[in-house]
Amino acid sequence: MKKPSKKAKTALPKAVERRSARVKILDLPTGVRGLDEILGGGVPEFSFNLIGGSPGCGKTTLVHQLAFANATPKRPALYFTVLGEPVIKMLRYQQQFSFFDDAKVGEAVRFINLSDLVLEMDLNAVLEEIIAQVTAANAGVVVVDSFRSLARKVTSAVGELEVQSFIHRLSQFLTSSEATTFLVGEYVPEEIRDNPLFTMVDGILWLSQVTERNSVVRKLQVMKLRGQASVPGLHTIRITDDGLQAFSRTLGLEIAKPRPSKRKRLSVGISELDQMLGGGVIEGDSLLVAGPSGTGKSALATQFIAEGLRQGEPGIMVIFEERPDGYIQRAEAFGLKLAAAEKKGTLETLYLRPLDLSVDETMLAILDAIKRVGAKRVVIDSLVGFEMALAPGFRADFRESLYRMIGALTGAGITILSTVEVEDNFTSLQFSHYAISFLTDDIVRLRYVEIDGQLRKTMVVIKMRGGNHSKDIREYVITNRGVVVIHPRRTDYSKLSTGIPKRTGPRRAQANEIPPEAKAID
Amino acid sequence: MDRATPQTRSIAERLIVIETLRNASPEAAVAVAFPAIDKLRPHLATLMGSGGVRALVGRSLALATTEVPWLRAVQVDTAGNLERLVALRGHLDPAEFLEGRVVLLARLLGLLVAFIGPSLTSRLVGEVWPQVPPKDRDFGKEQDREKAK
Repeated sequence: MKKPSKKAKTALPKAVERRSARVKILDLPTGVRGLDEILGGGVPEFSFNLIGGSPGCGKTTLVHQLAFANATPKRPALYFTVLGEPVIKMLRYQQQFSFFDDAKVGEAVRFINLSDLVLEMDLNAVLEEIIAQVTAANAGVVVVDSFRSLARKVTSAVGELEVQSFIHRLSQFLTSSEATTFLVGEYVPEEIRDNPLFTMVDGILWLSQVTERNSVVRKLQVMKLRGQASVPGLHTIRITDDGLQAFSRTLGLEIAKPRPSKRKRLSVGISELDQMLGGGVIEGDSLLVAGPSGTGKSALATQFIAEGLRQGEPGIMVIFEERPDGYIQRAEAFGLKLAAAEKKGTLETLYLRPLDLSVDETMLAILDAIKRVGAKRVVIDSLVGFEMALAPGFRADFRESLYRMIGALTGAGITILSTVEVEDNFTSLQFSHYAISFLTDDIVRLRYVEIDGQLRKTMVVIKMRGGNHSKDIREYVITNRGVVVIHPRRTDYSKLSTGIPKRTGPRRAQANEIPPEAKAID
Repeated sequence: MDRATPQTRSIAERLIVIETLRNASPEAAVAVAFPAIDKLRPHLATLMGSGGVRALVGRSLALATTEVPWLRAVQVDTAGNLERLVALRGHLDPAEFLEGRVVLLARLLGLLVAFIGPSLTSRLVGEVWPQVPPKDRDFGKEQDREKAK
């Protein structure tokens, strides 16, 4: 056997050695749900950061969460306040959040007011006080709120260079003290270019509020984070009783696993439709059911979920238009025992229509529900309602957001059935308003057709990404069993897809139907 | 007319007794008229700055004068110190003087309870007077304060 050359022998270990000798940057948890993922793991330890943005964006709440999440009696968080919101008010408001731990105040989280020093003394005195307090307390986290007030006061007195020097000395001291620092300030985006602070800090978290029509949405952007691969872009944040919650704009996509090559076929609960789909919908597919109002999209979706429950596959129904109790009642009328499944915990109905949601928030609500019930099937009824539930600012991104959401869910092996309402115009066969067919693996189109003086319903499988499917246009009715496919393919009509077909075969005698079809109520 | 609650009065009395015993020497007693507030003041200043302390003590005094009229003669300086208290002590009955201080401190504690809640106020008092056990600095629950209103 050939021995490796001396060069080859030494080159590899050296490289490994170099790699293993690299410093490992530990991440501090932010205490904000969803933010650690956006930051690429958390806040790098000993980093010197700026949390900026306009008033009311949640800067103070964010920094409190950071402080409470990391403060310990041995490495406390020192919260220096400077001419901003009075501490007494800050404590009053912040203790309303669930993260606020009374037991930590005073020992692990300490508030120190620097206003008098800033007003009466110079920058050196301020720095000396910070150094004295941080050294005495062995602080692990340091907050200066508002740093802008401090900088503004000193800039007017001593000039920009001295402020820069102050920031440099502060940063040097705090980093050497192994403290992770957060400077909080109200800045406007225009200041970023000229203010040296933005260059000197390791990380910038930028918070903003976007107003569109009657809706206000808070956003967070990681403008900069040295030593860490953060998720770029604007992420939605929401302030709840638990403090800030962040919703990554790519939430879910990173966790999406490649779908297994062998996937089983799932019954949609309508045997004839299963046959049309080539044996059922493929597990992990996204199936779009498109059709005008009253064609039974929701009924079909309910049957899909109910069939899953019968097969031992828990499900989630995300509904935007109809109330959950109405949905469940209709299912019961079809003989589908959804209420029992809800009680058992294998089915969850999410009713989302607060009108200012982001897709990311919806996504998180769905993912949470999926985790809770271990869902294998998800119904989104409907995409039109989904769009209406979003804040106006998000509607422009609806398709892109939908793409991310569907990709993430199907990537996790979930089979999705979405419904979309489309208008029948009797001249063409439209799939949806959103041109979202590219997002879905399979499309079933429902439509009204005028036949023999009746407005009947037909369905056709338009697309089946994973395999062959029936090309037949089949007639169906909605009975007390739900959607039931009745007639075989009609060969005595042409142009069925226009809604106004032409008879090509002989007319057969037909009895009048009163009513033409049974309705599934009561 | 609303008054300092019995709870805050009782805690104020206890703190005043502790500080009176600590400053029992005649020299100290002459120099310091209200050692309990003097001891609390730097802790409050750390939290809210001298301006904040001045505002809080000033408001406490304003509330206390509704119960103890002689306190109208007292003033608060820019650092939150109580002026003319030492001078007034000589003209007042000791029980009357004590009552004024109890009400004033009780009002100050009551304000803290109103702003930052019973729990944080109790923790603050515990930081300043660690010898006072939690059960003796129990300001009740927020619901109790609502009921009292």
